[in-house]
Amino acid sequence: MTNNIKKILTLSLFKPLTQSMKTKIHSSTEIKDLPFPVAFVDKRFEIKQYSDVFHDYFDFKVTDTLPKYLQGLIGELPKSFLALKKRKSSQKIPLSEFISYVSRKGELRWHKLTLYECKSGKGYYLYFEDVTKKKIAFDLSLQAEHTAKIGSWEVDLVNNQIYWSDMTKEIHEVSEDFVPDLEGGINFYKKGEHRDRIVELVSNAIENGVSFDEEFIIVTAKGNEKWVRSICSVEMVNGKATRIFGVFQDIDKAKSESLKYQVLTDRMRVAVQSSNIGIWDYDIVNNVLVWDDNMYELYQVKKENFSGEVEAWESTIHPDDREKSLKAVQEAVEGKKEFNTEFRIKTADGSVRYIHGLGKVFRNQKGEAIRMVGANTDVSRIKKADSRLRQLLNTTEKQNQSLLNFAHIVSHNLRSNSSNLSMLTGMLLENTEPKKQQRFLEMIRLSSERLDETVVQLNEVIKIQTDHNLNYQWVPVKQTLTKVLESINAHIEEIDPKINIQIPDELKVYGVKAYIGSIFLNLLTNSLKYRKQEMKLQIDIESKENEENTVISFKDNGRGIDLKRHGDKLFGMYKTFHGNKDAKGVGLFISKNQMDTMNAEIEVESEVDKGAAFHLYFSNKKKN
Amino acid sequence: MKAKKVFLVDDDFIFREAAEVLIKSSGLTEEVHHFENGLEAYDTLIPLADSPNQLPDIMLLDINMPVMNGWELLEELKRAQSVLRDEVQIHILTSSIAPEDLNLSKEYEFINGYITKPLTKADLDKLAQGLS
Repeated sequence: MTNNIKKILTLSLFKPLTQSMKTKIHSSTEIKDLPFPVAFVDKRFEIKQYSDVFHDYFDFKVTDTLPKYLQGLIGELPKSFLALKKRKSSQKIPLSEFISYVSRKGELRWHKLTLYECKSGKGYYLYFEDVTKKKIAFDLSLQAEHTAKIGSWEVDLVNNQIYWSDMTKEIHEVSEDFVPDLEGGINFYKKGEHRDRIVELVSNAIENGVSFDEEFIIVTAKGNEKWVRSICSVEMVNGKATRIFGVFQDIDKAKSESLKYQVLTDRMRVAVQSSNIGIWDYDIVNNVLVWDDNMYELYQVKKENFSGEVEAWESTIHPDDREKSLKAVQEAVEGKKEFNTEFRIKTADGSVRYIHGLGKVFRNQKGEAIRMVGANTDVSRIKKADSRLRQLLNTTEKQNQSLLNFAHIVSHNLRSNSSNLSMLTGMLLENTEPKKQQRFLEMIRLSSERLDETVVQLNEVIKIQTDHNLNYQWVPVKQTLTKVLESINAHIEEIDPKINIQIPDELKVYGVKAYIGSIFLNLLTNSLKYRKQEMKLQIDIESKENEENTVISFKDNGRGIDLKRHGDKLFGMYKTFHGNKDAKGVGLFISKNQMDTMNAEIEVESEVDKGAAFHLYFSNKKKN
Repeated sequence: MKAKKVFLVDDDFIFREAAEVLIKSSGLTEEVHHFENGLEAYDTLIPLADSPNQLPDIMLLDINMPVMNGWELLEELKRAQSVLRDEVQIHILTSSIAPEDLNLSKEYEFINGYITKPLTKADLDKLAQGLS
């Protein structure tokens, strides 16, 4: 309480007893007539006289008898009054005390009680002032000051006096009895830009009367750095500043939060920019679509060319993905599904990008969709990597299949020949008949030759699988085909097929020249081998080109292959399908391996007795 | 016991010729019929279902053959008249030592044996014993 009273006095919130009041009290013979609550008490504080308003002031009826002593009216006497009572000496200076008491109506009231000794020295005049409302307002302002951490300060430039409120001291982390001066106050500002700035502002305020409101860092008495807001007003008299004053607020927490938020925002911005994420905001009600800078970058659209309507976005979507994408938006708006989809866009330069779109729908109180906010990410690289991964998996799968075929060769072909040799040598040893022995020897020779042939073929397959130094180049198709046809000219002349070649002279495919020649040779000899005897053989060789591939096709009108039955093992090793004596089941296996090695594809279409068509797909992009 | 006749189904003519000599010299039978693939054997067997006494006692069946392999023939026999399965002892005779082939053969209840090449006299003696 003492502190509060001090503050009240210091800040001069309460008016002191005016001179006219004092004159009235001292000159009046009839205290009861005075229009304010005044009482005369003797030195024992027995109430001798009081003004008429006293009854009302203390909630007594006019007919009530007041307590005999002052303490009966206000409870305990203030300490200074008790001391005066004991001392019984003269009190020349007026005494002021703040007292609180519970009124007869049960209300807590605050009074300022001022004591003046009467000239005769026989007693005292007591002046009562109800300061309850002021006290409440002051407490509230103190509380507000404390909550908002706002202190006040004042520099009296005339008397060179500086005042800091308790909160200002608390913010500076100095003790309550700290006595500030202007230079010391400025030295609390952090050295460098903050101190330089406050010096500049204070000088400008004093010299030119310019007020300010800025944020600074101070270093408190305990060495802590704090963000503060300093507001300054200037009082001018005759064009000269007489007083600068203002408030001082601790904004460290808010500022730190704001700075943290700023840091997070900056980080987010960097993250968003570096990860190619574009942010969009769609006002559904007004059909206004707002993009951030990354979105323009992603879509390769100039800001000035973007109309800001959802239709502008629609127009960028790849035609094949447009319906799907709009459906995804619609379903999100209807609340059926989250907006989480992938689509392609066509940028201004014609390139295609894969976009992953995510979004959230915001609704009003009626549940109506009013806004969608989301992000777009360019996932083209991931898509490509994914495609490459799938290609690698595919290659691995093919290699596994090759290994299985390899195992099959070891298990079946090598073993069948070696077991023949084993059987025949045993029979040769047991049988002494020369004619039979001769036949067994002949069969042993045949088996040995077949074993050798198998090993050669095996070697060829292994060579394809393991040769990493292949010479990849753009191979001229027609030139290669012509050479192959020349190499089997005798065979062709014998069978005399009709061969139609529809391939542009300049067409080239990327691959290994030797492999491509070998594949052409294999497909041509297959057509010759599996022709229908009753019909003239016709072979059509043609090419087609699209954005991604060049396709070379070999079609014939031969015996065809039952794909329902043999489709899954068509390119397997030692798989034959026609029962031909000279069919070894190696050619297509090797061709398939060669195509796989070149990252190319081979496909077949066929119907029994109608012919077969083999399609060779070469990528138009160079081998990685 | 001697077999009336044996069907030998294998695409390797060297093996068939050698096996025939071995079969005959072992005394298993004097009558060996050759088939180059499953389809040839099937085409011969099916009509014999109506004349069971003309069926072979034993059929030695290779697995890996063109046109119709051993498994495909077994599938056809599964669907054919039971007499073909009951009256003919079917033995797989293959150069495959892959466990999956052996396991697959066990799925056909009517198969009587699984022989890996080379075919030996001991194998043929066992076949003869199986006839009794």
